[in-house]
Amino acid sequence: MSLLMEIFRTSLTPVVFLYMAVGVFSGICIGALPGLTATMGVALLLPMTFGMEASQGILMLLGIYCGAIYGGSISAVLLHTPGTPASAATAIDGYALARKGEAGRALGASTLASYMGGLVSVLCLWLISPQLAKLALKFSSAEFFLLAVFGLCIIGNISGENIEKGLLCGCLGILVATVGIDSVTSYVRFAPAGNYNLMGGISYIPIMIGLFAMSQAFENIEDIFTEEEVQAKITNILPKKEDLKKIVRIAPLTGLIGTFIGIIPGAGADIGSFVGYNVARSIAKEPEKFGTGSVEAISGPEGGNNGVTGGAMIPMLTLGVPGDAVTAIMIGALTIQGLTPGPMLFQQNKVLVYTIFLGMFIANTLMCLFGFAGIRLFTKVLSVPKVILTPIIFVLCVIGSFAMKNSLFDVWVMLIAGIVGYFLGKVKVPTSPAILGLILGPMAEKNFRTALLKSGGDPSVFFNSVICWFFIALIVISLFGGKIKAMLMKKKSA
Amino acid sequence: MKRIVAILLAAAMTLSLAACGGSSSGGSSSGGGSSSGGASSGSGSGVDFSNMSVTCVVPYDAGGGTDAVMRGLADAAKGSFKNITVENRSGAGGATGMLYGANAANDGSIITMVTVELATLEAMGNNAGLTYTMFKPVIMVNSAASAITVKADDDRFNTLEDFIEYSKTNEVQVGNSGIGAIWHLAAAGLAKEAGTEFKHVGYDGANGAITDLLGGHIDAVAVSYAEVNSFVQSGDLKVLAVMSNDRLEAIPDVPTCKECGYDVALGTWRGLGVPASTPDEVVDELYRIFSEAAASDEFKEFMDNTNNVIDIMDGESFNTMIGEQLELYTELVDDLGLKVTG
Repeated sequence: MSLLMEIFRTSLTPVVFLYMAVGVFSGICIGALPGLTATMGVALLLPMTFGMEASQGILMLLGIYCGAIYGGSISAVLLHTPGTPASAATAIDGYALARKGEAGRALGASTLASYMGGLVSVLCLWLISPQLAKLALKFSSAEFFLLAVFGLCIIGNISGENIEKGLLCGCLGILVATVGIDSVTSYVRFAPAGNYNLMGGISYIPIMIGLFAMSQAFENIEDIFTEEEVQAKITNILPKKEDLKKIVRIAPLTGLIGTFIGIIPGAGADIGSFVGYNVARSIAKEPEKFGTGSVEAISGPEGGNNGVTGGAMIPMLTLGVPGDAVTAIMIGALTIQGLTPGPMLFQQNKVLVYTIFLGMFIANTLMCLFGFAGIRLFTKVLSVPKVILTPIIFVLCVIGSFAMKNSLFDVWVMLIAGIVGYFLGKVKVPTSPAILGLILGPMAEKNFRTALLKSGGDPSVFFNSVICWFFIALIVISLFGGKIKAMLMKKKSA
Repeated sequence: MKRIVAILLAAAMTLSLAACGGSSSGGSSSGGGSSSGGASSGSGSGVDFSNMSVTCVVPYDAGGGTDAVMRGLADAAKGSFKNITVENRSGAGGATGMLYGANAANDGSIITMVTVELATLEAMGNNAGLTYTMFKPVIMVNSAASAITVKADDDRFNTLEDFIEYSKTNEVQVGNSGIGAIWHLAAAGLAKEAGTEFKHVGYDGANGAITDLLGGHIDAVAVSYAEVNSFVQSGDLKVLAVMSNDRLEAIPDVPTCKECGYDVALGTWRGLGVPASTPDEVVDELYRIFSEAAASDEFKEFMDNTNNVIDIMDGESFNTMIGEQLELYTELVDDLGLKVTG
């Protein structure tokens, strides 16, 4: 109790609240803008914290982190444009709902699900972080490979009815990801000598912006002068009872799964959201509605990606090992203040550690409040005529893909992806598997090769640990689960 | 009426969003825009940077070690310029950003952080045309030697000698930040000097290697001391030797490789460079500004906190050193058969 008093007296002063509110708000803006990711937001505002006290700086960065992961879903729902890769899975059903005129309902669900996912992860961080932290060190190349393969299995679930087309698109994503300098042998693949843009590889963020946002904008041009019939109903901001039930059933669970994904170094919110989507589909009451605008399909990834935030903090604070790219920057923020994340931090700076725990809770709450307060405002975007909205999307796409690396090459990549995405849409090929392939393909390849390199070519390395078997079981279930279930049902009825 | 309100709201939202984006990319445009004005005044007589906006290009992502040093230095030097911004142009192991900087305007308005990769990329052959003669080095500010680090509870290795002897008869897996990257070459250099072989395991950045070492999945890492410092202090890892010329202040008990009888001193270094065609008086003025900034208490404290070692060298000696390093790494890469052909 006295610790709590001390926290409020020394670190959680009103000024710190203000910093956090500013952080959460700018985080939501950064997240909502395609191309500006949570990692970038935190990195950009990092120099601002140099002059602050440690607790002030780190809490502001936390606010940005939570806000940005949530903010990405706003543009995903409204414009079919995931603001960050972590919202790519939300775009599928969120936009479908918005098309039906229920953008408010979709945003409400995503806000509440994000909040719940965030809360679950903060609870884990608070209560059992030292126990969970050891998990992070159990992961090596073989485990990462199997995690990536499990992630790739999700393609089957996000492809809708066209599994073949989805697989095709996923392979396309994996292929594009192979361009550039191979990280195991440094061999240059599919890049002409001297072309340093291609040598560096094609990053997935401009492709994501192109496939989702730009292709959508191209499609809008087709009927740009027709009046949109859909009127945004904004009556259902607070989820109704039936929606609430669905969210409460799914979001805390995917939040917990997101927390675990967050703990694993190198797996961030993007993977958390796709795995969340997959889990939601397998436990959903109405899995057949996935892809057509289901609240369950929104709660899954949203709970999952915000669950990652607390999870990624666990190994960072307890071991000094970053759980994802954002927490890697936060380690930098702490060391600049002369603090060393790791076991010593708990002993030497107990107040700071608990301030971070409490601050994370407050950041999530602020995020939820800002989210609900803003829904009315956000949904107005839908009543903007296409003649105005479409050029704005074009501009945002170009800015977003340029801002990533200040590179014009990325803008071209985005444009080409936009054109490809437009035609893929015409032949009804789902595009989200390509994003999954781009993110997970290189992770699977690299870890497969590193694992075999370490074992001297012995494939038994993939069956050596409990975690490996756990993922193998998950892969088998997600590939053949439906078949097994059907067989069991048959036996029962027979 | 409702529609007008809606349009206004949407416009306001877009503007605020665009403003957010502007904070990241706007710096570059303002730097480029006003630099031409500064150049004309600069080329006249004496060079004056006080009314000039400069952009510092970091060839790596924001939040990394190179980025931190540049931002710390830019902060310490901000009084000497009208405006100084740091811009990240990452990709191709640093070649993207350095090529951009090498081909930029030669009025000192775009300064590039050049790192050891300027030599190693060319040695490896995946430099995409980048070579150190494209730059006129201004100043070296920081260097970090490779530290051979193992788990603290690993009884097999208590000294570098143990490690080398063990590696002659057994396989040791040494993690690095990427195949062909400096920590890989440093470990390979030590193995070559000691007449033994390591199995090199590449990761994307030093973090992955350190985490795998903590989890006991590999035997050692050869990254910089700054990167393992926190784990050494917490008692999880121990450093067997450092590849510097002198012992490190932070760990005075740890010997250098030279003391152990292996004549290797390898590691990373970071400094500033401008395009080769930049006039000497501009370079001199930049050296004056940044050497003052690097000597400031503010920067010293910053580098102390982030466990970075300040290592100043003037442009001329820096240039000579880069040339020597290129020769050294070219020889090493040839020996190891790492040269990229593709």
